[in-house]
Amino acid sequence: MPQSEYVVQMKGITKVYPNGIAANQGVDFNVRRGEIHALMGENGAGKSTLMKMLFGLEQPTEGEIIVNGETVNLSSPTVAIAKGIGMVHQHFMLVPSLTVAENMVLGMAPKKKGLFIDMDKAIAITEEYSKKYNLHVDPKAKVVDIPVGMKQKVEILKALVRGAKILILDEPTAVLTTQETAELFRELIHLKEQGFTIIFISHKLNEIKQITDRLTIMRGGKSMGVYNTAEISMEEISRLMVGRDVILTVEKDKAAPTDEVLRVENLEYTNDWNKKMLDRVSFSVRKGEILGVAGVEGNGQRELVDMLFNLNVPDSGTVTVNGKSIVGLPQRKIRDAGVSLIPEDRMLYGIADRGTIEDNLISNRIYQKEYNKGLLFDMKAIHEMSDRLIEDYRVLCKSRNQQVKMLSGGNIQKVVVAREFSSGPVLIIADQPTRGIDVGATEFIRKKLVELSRAGAAVLLVSADLNEVMELSDSLIVMNGGHIAAYFEDTSALTDEEMGEYMLGLKRQSDEEIGKVLYAK
Amino acid sequence: MRNKRMFLFEVARGFAAILLALAVAVIFIALCTDDVGGALEQMLLRPLFAKNGTFNANSLWVVLSRMIPTIFTGLAVCVMFSANQFNLAAEGGVMLGGFLATLVGIYVPMAAGLHLVVCLLIGAVAAALTMLLPALLKVKLGASEMVSSLMLNYIIMYVVLHFLNNNFADRSKGSTQTFPFLETAAVPDLVPNTDLTWGFVIALVFVALVAVFLFRTRWGYAIRMIGINQAFSKYSGMKVGSVIVLSQVIGGFLAGLGGGIEVLGRYSTFLWRELPGYGWTGVTIAILAKNNPLMVPFAAFFMAYLERGCELMRTNAGVPAEMLDIIQAVIFLFFAAEQFLARYRQKLVVKGAREEMKQAFDSEAAAKGGNA
Repeated sequence: MPQSEYVVQMKGITKVYPNGIAANQGVDFNVRRGEIHALMGENGAGKSTLMKMLFGLEQPTEGEIIVNGETVNLSSPTVAIAKGIGMVHQHFMLVPSLTVAENMVLGMAPKKKGLFIDMDKAIAITEEYSKKYNLHVDPKAKVVDIPVGMKQKVEILKALVRGAKILILDEPTAVLTTQETAELFRELIHLKEQGFTIIFISHKLNEIKQITDRLTIMRGGKSMGVYNTAEISMEEISRLMVGRDVILTVEKDKAAPTDEVLRVENLEYTNDWNKKMLDRVSFSVRKGEILGVAGVEGNGQRELVDMLFNLNVPDSGTVTVNGKSIVGLPQRKIRDAGVSLIPEDRMLYGIADRGTIEDNLISNRIYQKEYNKGLLFDMKAIHEMSDRLIEDYRVLCKSRNQQVKMLSGGNIQKVVVAREFSSGPVLIIADQPTRGIDVGATEFIRKKLVELSRAGAAVLLVSADLNEVMELSDSLIVMNGGHIAAYFEDTSALTDEEMGEYMLGLKRQSDEEIGKVLYAK
Repeated sequence: MRNKRMFLFEVARGFAAILLALAVAVIFIALCTDDVGGALEQMLLRPLFAKNGTFNANSLWVVLSRMIPTIFTGLAVCVMFSANQFNLAAEGGVMLGGFLATLVGIYVPMAAGLHLVVCLLIGAVAAALTMLLPALLKVKLGASEMVSSLMLNYIIMYVVLHFLNNNFADRSKGSTQTFPFLETAAVPDLVPNTDLTWGFVIALVFVALVAVFLFRTRWGYAIRMIGINQAFSKYSGMKVGSVIVLSQVIGGFLAGLGGGIEVLGRYSTFLWRELPGYGWTGVTIAILAKNNPLMVPFAAFFMAYLERGCELMRTNAGVPAEMLDIIQAVIFLFFAAEQFLARYRQKLVVKGAREEMKQAFDSEAAAKGGNA
């Protein structure tokens, strides 16, 4: 049989998850033998789903996977490994308390007398592979003690020991420093020279340009085509990645912002892995306007929101609401100052899943006089409030006593939004307010946001959805690598291409331009 | 409709667990005696019915009196488990509460009526304060309250025994016990000349109080929400640490109160020389009641009935008393096992979801039709 040009072919792959989300729709994906192939796209574009199917973690609803010219049914990672496919996850799958060598042979340990693990042999195997592929690790060190870069090498070696010829690397540089990244690239090129095929998931344009041969771009669950890396410009990639498909428009009057409500100055934060997540972030939001925060996820937006609600503490900098500092205040005090938050992680912060809808609607107002009669709850007032909110926010449910986890994603989010919007906030922080929910609920929530801002609330809208952030925001900042990369006072003339370039770090405004977002007192 | 279906399912699941536990019990009973039928009769019927089938009131009083301390410990565990705090020190709380209530009953004479109340309160408050230990260790240092409360039980036991042996023992008695407490400190009988005291009524009053507290006050609400999702509660503005401490202090108070009522109601001196075991039963009861205070009396009745039945089985059919522990353990296993009949539950959930989707679809279609 003549060897096919392609080592992996995925044809017409469609994946529908049990909750009805179609993460992949008719995707074609081909990888040549011995190339480094980038799979690019924004979060939620379907890259991970596609790769999970190639590694046997998920099964396609439709479509065919061909590995080395043979149609395969990858029912589990074990099968995928047997076919020579290995995957290095973004979050390492290592046992921290075991040594590197022990991790290396986990599940396939060499045995002594058929019972005991032959540790010497495990170390020998580790050293052999380490040398052969030029991936230096210390076999006797415990994983918990080694740096992130070495952990990644252990992961790669683990895949190689198991016979992988095709390596899938899921955003391998997200956790690495610049030096570690450079080292990783050298090692990957070395592996390529020895005939390995590498699939490289990323949305960092400069890295892709640096080491890949070809690239496939995904957007909204579909493939936007495959290109030779040398023949496509960064601008073109960025356009393909972040361009808008359907534009949901929301009618809104021109903003007439008045007093400053939120003022953030020189916020700095370095995370536990010594990565600078917020770098001199300063901006302000005024009454009656929506300030959008755009950016590819992981560029400091989450950290920023955490700081604004004391879910994390900044290294330095100030945050004031109506002139009063809120850094370090307990959440109840922050809420008393009139701040509402629609959290990014709905299931973690947004709701108590086993509680009723009513339980979830009153959580931020249980101490208010209105809902208490002396020591006891005023159940009548609480029931009335719940029923009113359920109606106003069109939460589809049987009654206020239904468990909130029984609702659909969109209705759960409506419960969160109803609670946060109805407490009379002066500042609303909306973090990915419509992620993963249906079109109807999305439209409803967007309209409400505009409505509230026009009624006088200050709104900070953080969203990785370009369409959303550009449609709703009156003015807009773009975050890249913990910096504010750009500030646009007026969003109406802004193009996707321009945004994409700032989001992906190809361009950056001058400090003076960015500084305008902090209004002079 | 789905909620009702799920409720019925949970009830059926409970009965299935009990039936299976009894089936396992039958195997063990068969190992101990030839007359399995006779033994089962002792266990299942005799607690309430005499041999000729007539209702046995005296035996009922015994069963009800056994519920008094376990209702309190069941409530205590309910409150703590609701906040997702696996504090197991209700056991020690009972002993401490009983001991201190007795001491006040012996050495601090007061007017009738007032005396009993003061005795019980001091026992309960002391037990409540003791719970600050595991609670603060948890909140301030992140130490597992399960481990520290478990060990706390033995600390309490040995401290109580130390003072009992060295300071308060009545040397004229053959066994180690205190002097008798004053008449004014005794919990009066509800049914004369039985063990069933007014403590039973107080217990039921506390069932109502705890239910109101958990479901109708902001603190009870905070306890329940923290039990479901701590991150959500913090984000919503609740003081998570304080509420965690509060839940355990309340648990200690209830356990201590139960201990005082038990000692001052059933006995005339303090004579426990080991942990009385009511705290452990309280854990079983809270799990059977699914942390719902209103279900606690039923669970406590079931446990008391079972205990009485096993006692009769031991006396009259020669089956060892340890059988109770085996049956308890098996019930515990089936109840606590989330996966028991889980596949069937999943089917119910899916069925419900389908119906709901169809309904939504139908109403949507109807609405569209109406517009057109």
